Amino acid sequence: MGEHLLVNYAEVVAVALFGIGFTNLLLQKNMIKKIIGLNIMDTAVYLFLAEKGYIEGHIAPIVVNGDLSPETYINPVPSGLVLTGIVVSVSVTALMLSLTIRLYRRYHTLDLDEITMRLKKEGL
Amino acid sequence: MERFLLLPVFFPILAGVVLLLKKEYQKRNSLLVYVGTVLIITGVCACYAVFGVKEGLTLFQLTKEFPVYFKIDFLGRYFSLVVTIVWILAGFFSFEYMKHEKHEKRYFGFYLIVFGVLLGLDFAGNLITMYLFYELMTLTSMPLVLHTQTKEAVMAGLRYLFFSFAGAYMALFGVYVICRYGTTIVFAEGGVIPAAVLQEHGTLFLVASMLLLLGFGVKAGMFPLHAWLPTAHPVAPGPASAVLSGVIVKGGVLAVIRVAYQMIGADFLRGTWVQTVWMTLALVTVFMGSMLAFREPVLKRRLAYSTVSQLSYILFGLSVLQPEAFSGALLHVAAHAFIKVGLFLCAAAIIYRTGAKRVEELKGIGRGMPVTLWCYTIVSLGLIGIPPASGFVSKWHLASGAIASGIPVFSWLGPVVLLVSALLTAGYLLPVTMQGFFPGEGYDASRFKGKEPSGFMLVPLLALAALTIVIGLVPNVLVYAFEAFAALLM
Amino acid sequence: MEMIRNFPCLSILLSMFSAIISSAVKGRGARRINTFVVSVVGILSACTLYYTYTTGQSYVYVMGHFPAPFGNEIRFGSLEAGMALFFCVIMLLSLNGGRRKIQMEVDPEKENLYFIMVDLLLSSLLALVYTNDLFTAYVFVEINTIAACGLIMIMESGRAIEAATRYMIMSLLGSGLFLIGLCMLYDMTGHLLMSNVQASIQAIAADGTYVIPLLVMIALLVVGLAIKSALFPFHAWLPDAYGYSTVSSAAMLSSLVSKGYIFLLIKIIYRVIGFDIFVQSRIINVLFVFGLAGMIMGSTSAIRENDIRRMISYSSVAQIGYIYMGFGLGTSAGMAASVFHILAHAATKSLLFVSGVGLTDVSGDHKEFIELTGSAYRNVCAGLAFTVGSLSMVGIPLFSGFISKLLFSQAAVQSQIKMLPALIVLAVSTVLNAIYFMKTVIRIYTPVSCKYKSVSIRENPLYAFTLLCFVVLNIGLGMWSQPITDWIAQGLSVFA
Repeated sequence: MGEHLLVNYAEVVAVALFGIGFTNLLLQKNMIKKIIGLNIMDTAVYLFLAEKGYIEGHIAPIVVNGDLSPETYINPVPSGLVLTGIVVSVSVTALMLSLTIRLYRRYHTLDLDEITMRLKKEGL
Repeated sequence: MERFLLLPVFFPILAGVVLLLKKEYQKRNSLLVYVGTVLIITGVCACYAVFGVKEGLTLFQLTKEFPVYFKIDFLGRYFSLVVTIVWILAGFFSFEYMKHEKHEKRYFGFYLIVFGVLLGLDFAGNLITMYLFYELMTLTSMPLVLHTQTKEAVMAGLRYLFFSFAGAYMALFGVYVICRYGTTIVFAEGGVIPAAVLQEHGTLFLVASMLLLLGFGVKAGMFPLHAWLPTAHPVAPGPASAVLSGVIVKGGVLAVIRVAYQMIGADFLRGTWVQTVWMTLALVTVFMGSMLAFREPVLKRRLAYSTVSQLSYILFGLSVLQPEAFSGALLHVAAHAFIKVGLFLCAAAIIYRTGAKRVEELKGIGRGMPVTLWCYTIVSLGLIGIPPASGFVSKWHLASGAIASGIPVFSWLGPVVLLVSALLTAGYLLPVTMQGFFPGEGYDASRFKGKEPSGFMLVPLLALAALTIVIGLVPNVLVYAFEAFAALLM
Repeated sequence: MEMIRNFPCLSILLSMFSAIISSAVKGRGARRINTFVVSVVGILSACTLYYTYTTGQSYVYVMGHFPAPFGNEIRFGSLEAGMALFFCVIMLLSLNGGRRKIQMEVDPEKENLYFIMVDLLLSSLLALVYTNDLFTAYVFVEINTIAACGLIMIMESGRAIEAATRYMIMSLLGSGLFLIGLCMLYDMTGHLLMSNVQASIQAIAADGTYVIPLLVMIALLVVGLAIKSALFPFHAWLPDAYGYSTVSSAAMLSSLVSKGYIFLLIKIIYRVIGFDIFVQSRIINVLFVFGLAGMIMGSTSAIRENDIRRMISYSSVAQIGYIYMGFGLGTSAGMAASVFHILAHAATKSLLFVSGVGLTDVSGDHKEFIELTGSAYRNVCAGLAFTVGSLSMVGIPLFSGFISKLLFSQAAVQSQIKMLPALIVLAVSTVLNAIYFMKTVIRIYTPVSCKYKSVSIRENPLYAFTLLCFVVLNIGLGMWSQPITDWIAQGLSVFA
């Protein structure tokens, strides 16, 4: 059990980071910290994917010198997935930030719970 | 030919919907002519369907296994005749009575719809169809309870709805179990579940049948889920409370007979704890209903409590699972329907003419409204069980059936409770007659002078009183038929 | 007829391009484009449904030039096509029913944005329904979330923005879990196309290796989608999001967005993990328990609610619980019942939202019950439609809700252990449903002399027509369920 942890240290780090990001997104009160948590979470997934695609000693999957043997290159699919994932997470982050700006303009605070309290008090 | 079955069910429903959607009538008379015509046509069609149509009809498939299916068997024939007679009589009574209520159009619209739904319930040939019309009956009779729209009526209506739904969904559990294990869901004498399955899943079926009995028992006002009945029935307009108390509650009785005798099977239930619990609950309700009625000062509420008690006579007769008690119970269905509708219509006539609601206000009423009070007295005697009125015969069969069943304790306890309750019935019904005719000193005779209602009210009352006597005098035609039917079931 | 095989891809692309075109036109133009596109997609889906149902097969459509296992694929059978058709119908009706509210509540400058979001929502729903590629599914899950968030916040009231933020946070948590589950799945199998993944998973399960990772992976995927579809106890975002958005948004969110995720989950269960492996994992017991808890808790919260929109929203929590309970039964009958309930609930819930807004409109825009007293007389057709919707939710025979309850119970009695809890909770939750819906119906039919004006059908014939369509849909599902259950059974059989 324990030896796997050491061998797959990158996965361990990725999962730990995912946990950190997840808890931050869930539990932080401050919107900006929540968004940071979101980004940590997504980045952890990309780390996981990149680690999975990378093979020790292989090179980037671009054919040079006519070497077509699959032994030469790393797996290109995870890298593609990471790129797609980054696009998704950028757009989601942008949306979250724009929501935060709107809330801040209206209520001058970044604390989501306080905003909820105030909304309840206003009875809206 | 079998298509004809649809006519008595859907014609009044459609006519009622049309009436609800129409603009308000300019003349009251044209509304009455419309309603009267629909009632008569439906009555004729129902009689024709009851006696002429032997085949069943599948209307459409609800799901693959469950069709909506109509077939008139013996029970359906009997119940639908009772419904038709009572509904037409109370309908004509309403023509006069509803003058002093608002929203007549809505009342008559729903009155017609419920008529169709009740006939549908009686004609239903399988369990799912019966359940469907049972739920529709609850929903469509709601507006009759809510009619006055006072806060009291709304609360009573809510209570009615919740109790009915709670009961219906309790029963639904049993319905699911039957659908799963039964060979068919078409009603069949002696049950539809193979004996081997009953053996294997004994406890499950006992629980399911208990839930079915309790659930459908709600409509019949069985303890402990009876509390809706005494609040819901009296708040409706007079004729509506009459049919609610006299006929709609019989929907619950019909459902109980269907599931206990024609789905699960009497032989399976006999001697189990379910039967014991059922008998106990029925007897408790008989006694408790009579006691509460005895203490109740408002006449309509007193009659509603009396319904609680009398319905459990029927349920007790069914719970004994013995042919003679069974035929007594079935006879009591018709007897109680005519009697209770008669009593409520008398109370309605009194309220309509004098506004008196409480029993002590009725002193000396016999001087002003002798015919009404005579009708009241005759049907009261029927309910108490004094020969030659109808209640005597049915109670006789109930009691002798209970004794013949030989079940420990209940074979003697049952008749005793029935007897005590009959005394109480005399105690809460007859004082109205006594004080009405013999008020004694110090009452205001002028209040009731010349208050006798018009023909629209008197004719249904007289007809109901006559029916009570007729059933009491010649019960044998019915009793033989019931016994033949009971022999098939048990 | 071969041409029909292009239709699913065409409909996804069509709805996506309509979003792009809409950004260049004004509000009314965007609305017309949207109506046109939704109708066209509906017709295309109907053709696809006819084709797949008559041939009784499912088809694979290769996107681009790369064949499996590397390319991207669309796969469609009758279940997918029918679901797409149903989504189009509900979307069209919800938008038409709430059209006047959209015009009132949305800034005219931004009306075209609203319809862009709807177009995007449609395209992502179609993609979720049709795709055979897991990562594509993830991307469209996110697009779906973004579009839904846009639909919630379009009103720009403080409440709506706050609700949108909370919705976004919960959704992101869900999609984060879904994504990591996906990556682990890819790690284990080396594939992203669902059919290839399933082959590998079956090999893994047969080997007996990776038992725990497989379980964790299934749990992550299921929990991720459960959060997004608001399964109890992850439902905290739901009442605000449905309660404070414009009515069309609420109707579409409850009946389309969450159903899209649930459909994706069904797809993952059947096509990725494999139904048998899913049933063997203990996850289904968890789903069963949460489903049952949701059925009760959603209804009790709804009973306590004093705001009609939030009450209807909480009732969604209960209904989602039914669907997951059906999954949890672990039989194909339970699955079929859940699929039917997706349809029944979508048809009923959007009806309730749309008719509910008709009632609040004639009560001075108040959503509290006390103000709604007698509103059914002020807006007759909304009152009738609300009653029909309530009866269906309560499960009165002849309406769609009864059939789904019947199917659930039929599925439940097949299982020895789960039968009793399922049936008892089904009965209890039905009574609870009856309590709050019937309370509302009686409330709206209690006459009161009041200050608010009534509206007649003539003032908004489109609204009345929409409600009529909804009612017909509901009664149709309730009375002629036979062809629909046949279709579901056939669709599920070619689904895996």
